[in-house]
Amino acid sequence: MILEFLQTLSEMQIVGELTVLSLLIGGVIMAGGVIIAKIAKLLFHKYYAPSLPKDTAQNISKLIYFGILIISFLGFTSSQGIDLSGIMVAGGIFAVVIGFATQSVVSNLISGLFLIVEKPAKHGDTIELPDMGISGTLLDIGTFSSKVRRFDGTVTRIPNEKFFTSNIRSLTLSTVRRADVTVGISYESDIDHAILVMKNEILETMPFVLQVPEPEFRTEELGDSSVNIHVYVWHPRDDWSNAQPILLNTLKRALDKSGIEIPFPQRVIWTGKD
Amino acid sequence: MKIMSDNSELTFSNFGIYDLVDQLELILPNTLIKFHRISENAFSYYRKNSEGNVVEKIIPVKSQDVKIELAPIRPLNYPARRTNHILLQFDKEIYLSENSAASIFVNCPIEIGIFLIHNSKHDSLDWITCDPLNSRFGLYGSPDTGTLCKYAKVTMATDYDDSNPYIEGVIQIVVENTLSFGHTISKVVFPITDNTLYYQNSKTIIDGLKITMKKRAAVNIADVQTTSLDTDWIASPTWEDKTTSAHMEMGLE
Repeated sequence: MILEFLQTLSEMQIVGELTVLSLLIGGVIMAGGVIIAKIAKLLFHKYYAPSLPKDTAQNISKLIYFGILIISFLGFTSSQGIDLSGIMVAGGIFAVVIGFATQSVVSNLISGLFLIVEKPAKHGDTIELPDMGISGTLLDIGTFSSKVRRFDGTVTRIPNEKFFTSNIRSLTLSTVRRADVTVGISYESDIDHAILVMKNEILETMPFVLQVPEPEFRTEELGDSSVNIHVYVWHPRDDWSNAQPILLNTLKRALDKSGIEIPFPQRVIWTGKD
Repeated sequence: MKIMSDNSELTFSNFGIYDLVDQLELILPNTLIKFHRISENAFSYYRKNSEGNVVEKIIPVKSQDVKIELAPIRPLNYPARRTNHILLQFDKEIYLSENSAASIFVNCPIEIGIFLIHNSKHDSLDWITCDPLNSRFGLYGSPDTGTLCKYAKVTMATDYDDSNPYIEGVIQIVVENTLSFGHTISKVVFPITDNTLYYQNSKTIIDGLKITMKKRAAVNIADVQTTSLDTDWIASPTWEDKTTSAHMEMGLE
């Protein structure tokens, strides 16, 4: 009965020699290809990906998935008796047209390949793209675009071409990072004493600040209202949030405790009579 | 709750294994630890330090035979685990003339681990430092290629008994100068995950180090290797995963 059913399907012609049966076989080949591709991707992720860097694992995974899909598609076309050589010739004619139309797409694709080869940053790195005003964690370098999760939790998609041609500042390549702030003290205050109390407070209350190299203090400017001291501290690269945002609080607390004035901006006005 | 404002009045709990029956109180410098049975199969854990920070946990247990081990651990966890290396800056420099060797004892900071023992298995329950003000980071090398280390300015000890209990352990360092000229050494950097800690009562000793100052190609280096200690003191359980690295090479400055 099944054979009769298949016989009937093979006799039902759709266009030319294309029958319902051949279309069904093609569908089975494509569906089988998709299933095999997914299983291969799943097995790769389970057994091999954990031992590879994340971005390399992602690229190999995509290669496996799309490779199997392409092979399935070729199997599908040959099962339908489609001669691809004709398409190739036609493709040549349309190549120029398609080339112009998909210029940015191809550019993004090529840039993506270069990004994968050059690896200016890898999955999970904290990066900053100063030209675009974007900073955050690099989630993925994809075929056409890359994704960055910004510090506010949103994800920005950046076309690979723009990403590749941008200045990329990596915040995680170095072992340590430096935080810095400027603090002003009054002209009446002893600069050396102020530096000493600030240094002691930093070393006592900021456990993530490195002792070597030790905090550095530079008298930066004799300002309009205050003597401005620039303070530099080093911290482990992943502990920015334990250094930069609390550094100014720490310095103010130290100066307050020692009675050292942080002056308001002030103007001395002389009138004509004076 | 009384927290130690004057440590000199208190008798501190020794390192070792304690039976956990109904309740247990462990007193350490600037730290109080309490276990209390809250049900047949559960204990509460309470820890308070001198800064007023409190940690509380509920510990479900299966068996009735539960023990607690208080033991020294490597000083890598406070304020956060970031590295396996430690940089010991000697308070006094050591000068070695050509082709000479010396053996010194140095006080190395420690932390204290609290382990739950049930069915002969050690589980890490908590860790503390009795000297948080001196538990800091330092960098050996340049910011881009250097090694992040726990940093400690250390004093010399006379022997293995000359340590500051609960805060420091003693490590023996053998320094050998094979160079053709005298050299001064002021610090040592090494992965302390290779070194086992041993305890007895309140004191701690640590696997030793051998530093060889030698010439490699045109560069003078200090080759730092761990040497196992042969002792009858009790080996401390390992808090963190132990890593194995052959040795550390420092540049001679």
